[in-house]
Amino acid sequence: MSKTVRSLFFVVVVAMSLLLAACGTPAAETQAVVADPTATQIPVVVEPTVAPTEDPMAMFAPDAVTGDIITAGSSTVFPLSERMAELFQQEGYTGNITVDSIGTGAGFERFCTAGESDISNASRGIKDSEKEACAAIGREPIEFRVGTDALAVVVSAENDFVTALTKEQLGKIFTGQFTTWDQVDAAFPVEAILVYGPGADSGTFDYFNEAVVAPLYLNADGKADVAAGEEALLGLEGAQFSEDDNVLVQGVEGSKYAIGYFGFAYYTENSGALKAVAVEGVEPNQGTVDDGTYPLARPLFIYSDAKILAEKSQVAAFIYFYLSNVNDNIVDVGYFPAPAADLQGAMDAWSTATGQ
Amino acid sequence: MENKNFRLLDLKKKMRPGESIIQSLLFISGVLSIFITVAIVYELGKEAWLFFGNPDVTFAKFFGTTTWSPGIGHFGIWPLVTSTLITSIIAMLVSLPLGLAAALFLSEYASPKARSALKPILEILAGIPTVVYGYFALLFMTPLLQRIFGEGVEVYNMLSAGIVMGIMILPLISSMSEDALSAVPRALREGAYAMGATKFETSIQVVLPAALSGIGAALIIGISRAVGETMIVAVAAGSGPNFTFNPFQAAETMTGHIARISGGDLSYNTIDYTSLFAIALMLFLVTLVLNLISQAVINRFRQRYE
Repeated sequence: MSKTVRSLFFVVVVAMSLLLAACGTPAAETQAVVADPTATQIPVVVEPTVAPTEDPMAMFAPDAVTGDIITAGSSTVFPLSERMAELFQQEGYTGNITVDSIGTGAGFERFCTAGESDISNASRGIKDSEKEACAAIGREPIEFRVGTDALAVVVSAENDFVTALTKEQLGKIFTGQFTTWDQVDAAFPVEAILVYGPGADSGTFDYFNEAVVAPLYLNADGKADVAAGEEALLGLEGAQFSEDDNVLVQGVEGSKYAIGYFGFAYYTENSGALKAVAVEGVEPNQGTVDDGTYPLARPLFIYSDAKILAEKSQVAAFIYFYLSNVNDNIVDVGYFPAPAADLQGAMDAWSTATGQ
Repeated sequence: MENKNFRLLDLKKKMRPGESIIQSLLFISGVLSIFITVAIVYELGKEAWLFFGNPDVTFAKFFGTTTWSPGIGHFGIWPLVTSTLITSIIAMLVSLPLGLAAALFLSEYASPKARSALKPILEILAGIPTVVYGYFALLFMTPLLQRIFGEGVEVYNMLSAGIVMGIMILPLISSMSEDALSAVPRALREGAYAMGATKFETSIQVVLPAALSGIGAALIIGISRAVGETMIVAVAAGSGPNFTFNPFQAAETMTGHIARISGGDLSYNTIDYTSLFAIALMLFLVTLVLNLISQAVINRFRQRYE
């Protein structure tokens, strides 16, 4: 054979072997077979013993469980879940807890379509389409109410002309019907409005759309058209969208003529450089959220599934810890406690799901 | 008389199994990069084909409109392309003159001691992670620009991202150009001096044109780097597509958009998912076209001086 033919032959052989190796069956996961370490020992003396009273919750203590817990979803719930995860690990949990801030919609995607996460954080209720997707992969989502958020509409602290806006004005600003500040109020300066907001993957976006924008777009039946609202919000030229609320904070802080909206915790964390706008004349704080006068107060949830709670006891333990300790920490994180009845309802849901 | 029993030893046809294995392995390595490029283009093309196959998407919309928001049916690619081109052009405007000047200084004017001190420092600049550059742009360059140009500069803007990208590419350009300039034979310089040229005239009119192919290679790599840069523009250039030619405004580039959207979760057959591949393919094409243009321009100038 000539040199060229032999080289080509080698190439073909090696290439084919590489392809076959790559396309072959993936290596099976090696299951560690744990041999039973305890040999049964027959006690020499049989004594009558009194069974010690055990705390039924001991099996859900942080140091009694191990493994990994995968949570993902809302950027609003993210600081809260992150805090609870830290505390859980401080109490003796040795496993891994990952909390990803990707937006409520993306979190449900991971929970219900890909089945990759154990807990889904959400700043809005689960949609029917998402419930169907969950059912398709054999998951039945259980809702746990963990807190309340007062959606903060913020401007820069340097902004000295805006203090209060109506929901209608907000809707028109964020959909581009007002493009300069003087269109909102003749007393405001003639400057372009710089809009910052979360993208379509965010529960905050969905909530803002439903509560503020969609009522401006009525369909044939006279009801709020959510799809039209979404289109108007996303279609705004020059608006900056990000699922990461820290990007929005940076943006609004940086310009006198910027406006944005995100969860209250991000506002309190940066309250030196930001100013919260009063919506419909009501400022967001503990009092107005509790008595229901702040129009943009919304619930915060985490979702899981009974099968996951049964298979992964560390997830059940984490949720129990979460629900027991959330009220002690939620104000520090920057949100507001859920109504006592809802929190009890969440605890009851947990008990039913785990059979406790 | 010819001795017909004498056969010339043809060494070319001699069996050398070790040599042929090594030759094949090296050949495979060379072919592998081509194979990978073809595989990447194939994968991009396959998914992008799904995107263009969608009945809502037409080439008229893709190349004709100027808003990009696939979730609500806007498929105009131009906002992302213009932002990429503007940031890349700003980056090249910063890095090319400064890089060439640095290279000229290092190869023509610097004493060996200065050279040995400056070159490692330039290499350090090349080693800084791009995410650090991104935050440098956001937290230092943007306030600086706001102080110089006033309030028209937005917090996220293309200019600061472009300038910092230029700073990032600068060591690449200067290092490659300096190698090319140093490779020019001394005889050319000495000939120019003999004709009475000053050092500057020699550098610009004799050495630089002679090193043009190396400098051209540096330019092409710099452009490819600028167009493909993701982290700096994702952090500092903006997070929403915006069709504008004003560098003080925020506008998301193709790479930044891919990074932002794929950071969330997309199911496999949605229009958002396939649109990412269409953008990636477009990115590939833009890089290719820019490379070809640069190559053509370099070749044209090369012929004049040789």
